[in-house]
Amino acid sequence: MGKTTHFGYKQVDVEKKQGLVKEVFDSVAGKYDLMNDVMSMGTHRLWKNYTIASSNVVEGDHVLDIAGGTGDLALKFRKKVGPKGKVILSDINSSMLFEGRKNLLNHGVIDVEFVQANAESLPFDDNAFDCVSIAFGLRNVTHKAEALKQMYRVLKKGGTLLILEFSKVENQTLEKIYDLYSFNVIPKFGEFFANDEDSYQYLAESIRKHPDQETLKNMVLDAGFEFCEYHNLTGGIVALHKAIKA
Amino acid sequence: MFRLTIEKSLNRFINANNIDLNQIENKIISLKVDEIDLTLFFLSLNSRIFVVDNHKNKKADVSILMSKASFLSIFKGATIEELLKSEDIEINGSVNTAQQLASLLSSSSIDIEELISQYTGDIAAHQIGKAFRHLKDSAINNDGSLIGAIKDEITTVLVAPSRSKLFKGRA
Repeated sequence: MGKTTHFGYKQVDVEKKQGLVKEVFDSVAGKYDLMNDVMSMGTHRLWKNYTIASSNVVEGDHVLDIAGGTGDLALKFRKKVGPKGKVILSDINSSMLFEGRKNLLNHGVIDVEFVQANAESLPFDDNAFDCVSIAFGLRNVTHKAEALKQMYRVLKKGGTLLILEFSKVENQTLEKIYDLYSFNVIPKFGEFFANDEDSYQYLAESIRKHPDQETLKNMVLDAGFEFCEYHNLTGGIVALHKAIKA
Repeated sequence: MFRLTIEKSLNRFINANNIDLNQIENKIISLKVDEIDLTLFFLSLNSRIFVVDNHKNKKADVSILMSKASFLSIFKGATIEELLKSEDIEINGSVNTAQQLASLLSSSSIDIEELISQYTGDIAAHQIGKAFRHLKDSAINNDGSLIGAIKDEITTVLVAPSRSKLFKGRA
C-alpha cells in the first residue's frame, strides 16, 4: 500500500478514497434529504439559512456551490442572485447531481447550471465567482488543501468562501451526548430509513476525522485567503468558516 | 453576530441605494472603541463591505480611535469633522475615507444602541427582541418577503453563537 489517508476511521490508499466516498453517496443519494432531516431533526435547514445570511451575496452575483448535492443551498442562492446572477451547482457524484437536478426542477428552477466536477480540480476560470460555498462536502475531499486553493483561484477579488461543515463540539457534556447519538443512533437511522448502516457509520467517523475549527481556519488562510473566521453553530456541532479573497 | 449584523445592514443599504464605493474600494478601515474593547475592521471590496476579524494583522489604511459617545453619535449623523473638533476621536490616514465610512454607518439604519447593549450585556432576550423588531425592515430591504426575513432573523438567533463566546476579548 502506498500513501494512505483516512476513510472514516479506516486507513485506505489515497487513490481509493474518492471511489469509496462515491460508493457512500451513490448509496445515500435517494434518501439524502430525508436522512438530513431525520439526523439533524431539521436543524440542517437553520445552519444552511445562516450560511446564506452570512454570504454577502447580492443580486447579479455569480455563485458556485461545490458538493451541492440535492441543491438546497443552490436554491437559496438562486433567490439571492436573481435573474441577473448565476448559480452553478457542482458535485463529483452523478447520483447526487441527479437528485439535485430533480429537486430544483420540482421547485420550478431551470436556470441553475449543473457541473460534475472534482473540488480538487475545478473546471472554471480564475476569478469567476463572487461566492463559493461547500456545505458538508469538504470532509469527503481527499486533498483538502488543494481543493481550498482551487476555491481561492476561482473566486474574484472580494469574493467570499463559505464552508459549512461538521466540527468540534465546544462543550464536553454535549460532546458525550453527541458521540452517543452519532455512533449509536445515526447508523440505526441509516439502516431504518435508507437501508444503509455502513454509510452512516462512515458519516459519524468522517466527522471526527475532519479538522477542527482552528485547524481548518489555518488551512483556509494557507490557501491564500486574507481573512477567515468561523462561527460555531449549535455548540460547534457545525461550524461556518467564512473567508474573503482580498 | 455583531459584525454580521453591521455587515448585513451596510450591504442592504448599499444595494438598495446603489451606493458607489469607489472612493473606499480596497481600503481597510479599522475602528476602535476603547471603552468597550470593540475593534471593527471594515474592508471594501467587490462593491460591498465586509466586517472582518483582522487576525493576520493587515495594516489598516485608516485607523479610527474614538470614545463610545463618538461611536454612537456617528450613527446619529455626526460627521468626522465635528468629532475631530471635539477631540474625541483620533484618525490615522485619510479623514475623507473615514468620513465615507461614517456616512455609510449613519445612513444604514443600524440600531447601534441595541447592538452595543448586546455586545456589552447579555444577549438572548435582546436578540429575539431585535430579530422581531427588524423583521419589517428586513422584509423591505431584503427581497420583500416577510417569511424570508423571519427565517433569516430567527436562524441567526437560534444557531449563531452568543456574543459572549464570539466576542470575548475581540470584536
